[in-house]
Amino acid sequence: MIGSTPEAAGQAERSWSLSFTVNGERHELAIQPERTLLEVLREDLHLTGTKGACLEGECGSCIVLVDGVPQNSCLILAPQMEGREVVTIEGLADGTVLDPVQRAFVDHGAVQCGFCTPGVVLSTKALLAGNPHPTYDEVRRGLEGNICRCTGYMKVLAAALAAARAGVADDASGQADRPRP
Amino acid sequence: MSDIRVSEAAPTSGAPVGRSATRSDARDKVTGKTAYGGDRAVSQECLHAHVLRAAHPHAIVRRIETGPALADPDVVAVFTGKDVPGTNLHGMIRRDQELLATSRVRYCGDAVALVVARTRQAAERASKLVVVDYEPLPGVFTIAEALAPDAAAIHPEGNILGRQRIRKGDALAAMAEADVVVETEFSTQSVDHAFLDTEAGVAYLEGEVLTIEAAGQWVHEEARLLALALGLPFERVRIIQPPTGGAFGGREDLGIQLYLGLAALLTGQRVELAYSRAESMIARHKRHPIHIRYRFGARRDGTLVAAVVEVQADEGAYASTGKAVLRKAASHATGPYRVPNVHVDVTGVFTNNNPTGAMRGFGASQIAIAYEGAMDKLAAALGMDRVELRRRNLLLPGDAVTTSQILPVVSAQECMSAALERIGWEGRSYETPAPHLKRGYGLSVVCFGLGYGDGFPDASRARVRFTDGDRLEVYTGAVEVGQGLVQMAAQVAAQAVGVTIDRVDVILADTARTPEAGSSSATRQTFFTGSAVRKAGVELRHQLLDIVGTLLPVHPDELDLADDACFERADPTRRVPLSAILQEGRRRGYPLEAEAIFEPRTICQDDAGQSVRAFVTYLFASHAAEVLVDVETGEVQVQRIVAVHDLGKAINPLAAEGQIEGGVVQGIGMALMEEVVRQRGRLLNPNFTDYIVPTAMDVPEIIPVILENPDPIGPFGARGVGEPPLIGTPPAILGAIHDAIGVQIGQTPATAERVWRALQQAPGR
Ligand code: FES
Ligand code: FES
Repeated sequence: MIGSTPEAAGQAERSWSLSFTVNGERHELAIQPERTLLEVLREDLHLTGTKGACLEGECGSCIVLVDGVPQNSCLILAPQMEGREVVTIEGLADGTVLDPVQRAFVDHGAVQCGFCTPGVVLSTKALLAGNPHPTYDEVRRGLEGNICRCTGYMKVLAAALAAARAGVADDASGQADRPRP
Repeated sequence: MSDIRVSEAAPTSGAPVGRSATRSDARDKVTGKTAYGGDRAVSQECLHAHVLRAAHPHAIVRRIETGPALADPDVVAVFTGKDVPGTNLHGMIRRDQELLATSRVRYCGDAVALVVARTRQAAERASKLVVVDYEPLPGVFTIAEALAPDAAAIHPEGNILGRQRIRKGDALAAMAEADVVVETEFSTQSVDHAFLDTEAGVAYLEGEVLTIEAAGQWVHEEARLLALALGLPFERVRIIQPPTGGAFGGREDLGIQLYLGLAALLTGQRVELAYSRAESMIARHKRHPIHIRYRFGARRDGTLVAAVVEVQADEGAYASTGKAVLRKAASHATGPYRVPNVHVDVTGVFTNNNPTGAMRGFGASQIAIAYEGAMDKLAAALGMDRVELRRRNLLLPGDAVTTSQILPVVSAQECMSAALERIGWEGRSYETPAPHLKRGYGLSVVCFGLGYGDGFPDASRARVRFTDGDRLEVYTGAVEVGQGLVQMAAQVAAQAVGVTIDRVDVILADTARTPEAGSSSATRQTFFTGSAVRKAGVELRHQLLDIVGTLLPVHPDELDLADDACFERADPTRRVPLSAILQEGRRRGYPLEAEAIFEPRTICQDDAGQSVRAFVTYLFASHAAEVLVDVETGEVQVQRIVAVHDLGKAINPLAAEGQIEGGVVQGIGMALMEEVVRQRGRLLNPNFTDYIVPTAMDVPEIIPVILENPDPIGPFGARGVGEPPLIGTPPAILGAIHDAIGVQIGQTPATAERVWRALQQAPGR
């Protein structure tokens, strides 16, 4: 829709070409350089699982993994992603098999409205990748950048600890994805 | 704190009701598939709208010039109040707010123009080109200013929205004769709902029908109000609730739906609109800041004889649901305590601040801070133990609440006992790791009427039907905003009909497809919609049993239905599978569907605030809190909160615990950190950088405890969860601070600065 307007056509002259990987897929895009990664993911790639709730780095709803590191995509200018590898919430499950972190969030009641969930799941994923057996306090600190207004965090913390126990290391096996009871 | 026990709640099996089942919508939520209001515009050709908000908190609008904005080649239209085809008015209880202001703005969130453009950027840019000629008026920003004799009148009838009172016995005389009288004052703050999913949606025309996909809390009422405001017959409006990222009362007033609807109606095209966090906070109503003067009179032995309560509430610029909030504050003024003589005056006052209205707790949360604070003071004045004083005065079965209603289930004592036991009250330790840290314990008890109450029509409807594929569909107009209604409805339906939960599909909140079920507010949906679903489900179950009666030579009374099969009670191996029953039913022409309405009556309070049935039922809860206060900095760290809630029946214990924990943490926010700060009507912190909500680092160990004294009317004995988990938290925390430092903090939030100042001013320090 943006491309169909005279204004956007004018701005297209200032566009940058961006080449990066999202959820294992390579993308070559022409974008305006002042756009954020969050905008490009949502508006150009239609990956709306990544949410924006404050647009100033305070809530973590927009967290994605950039080369494995959780980043607030609302604060990143898209051109900075050149050559980088981005994983969004849509890229976490292996087909229909949920990642153990996702599985644990479902099973432990860590999802209410779900708006914070993509960001919290990815933060947890990154946390466990760096620290497979975190303590309760380490999980709390690891998720400090994610605001959840619904759950009171208890079930989120429980899910993260359960995912750690389920063993994020073997997530390729899909063993953790039990059918719904 | 690494030794904290994290409850390892996990899905359980067994009967559908009472089972900790995982939510049916969780899978889409953890994979990012769920499309919220703001996700609906992406990948679709549409126009973009932007609302221009008032530049002054109080001003006459003399003229609006749209020409310069329209000159932008990307702008499609600029609408002002003159373009609105209907009444241009909205409001949940009284319609006193203009959709687009034509002559007057009364707070900074008032809308004056709506720009529709080809890009979002153009809409925003062009809104700055709309020229509004204002004549600023003196503003009124505090209750005192609003009540001053020469105050500017915000509405034609003046600055008083309404008064609510309770006159029970002769409280003034009883107070004069009381052995001991204590008085305490509290001021509560402006609180924002701060749901993460800021207002966003799309609107379009489906033939003649204006369709709006944006989150509210009561789709049918929104459609009615929107039809009036835009001059459409009700049949020409359809509202669909997309998956919603939280509400907490913040979506109860109509807002974004109006602008989406207007833009789509007048342009004839698909339009998208999304608020930024700042716009969301500037435009939306807030929790009432209130000032409470609370007096208890008691006999020497601690028996309460009188309560005299004066409340003044900042209503902000418009009525919103304010009158109902005032009524709730009044009817809950003495909480769970037996007080024979009660005198309550609540006054709501207009100001040029944000309108104030619904937020989880709805007046009861503010007043609970005062009655528990007064109890703590009374205990000190009597030299009596806080627990003993409460025990002596808590309602017992057969007692009436302040409004005169006698309740069938009164578990105040039981809730408090459970809270004391779980926190280890008897053996509590005041030891701290360092001398500048003081430990304290606080206690609260909540008695809360659910549903709208006060004679307001309150009904839920539900329809259940079997599809040709043998799935059980539940249709109800109630909205899911995160609280778990979708799973509650599935479990109640599965239990009522006798099928497995996984067979149930729940279809919610679409005015064209689902029957009206009232709002998701007032802690009412489990009780109301749960009951409607149960009633419809039981009727459908009877159809199934009837069909089986044609297959087996057994009286229906000797049959049971569960887990997708009908079996003989005497010999469960003799069974007919659901598929065979449905097949036979279709052959015989059974409808295989049923609809039900649940509509219990309440009675409006009289002039003295009395009603034998002000609410359909009441919930009881008790919280105990443990805090550490740093007396050098004033910083408060909540260590533990035990939250005991008598839910009647937990339809889904895992979900109920989640609701309790979420409410507790919102209560921590209200008690200690959240505050919307305004300067002469302008928000200074409309963002998450400066409006601080609790993070994982702020949460203590939370121990939810569920009691199940069944409700005589509720579905399978259930009452609900919703609001009490928030209500019980601030008074318990404030009581714990008082216990720790010996000073009562009279203002929320009890920030480090306020606690520190209170310590400096404390006598004897
Ligand atoms: S939207 Fe990026 S941190 Fe809030
Ligand atoms: S589940 Fe609603 S914000 Fe976290």
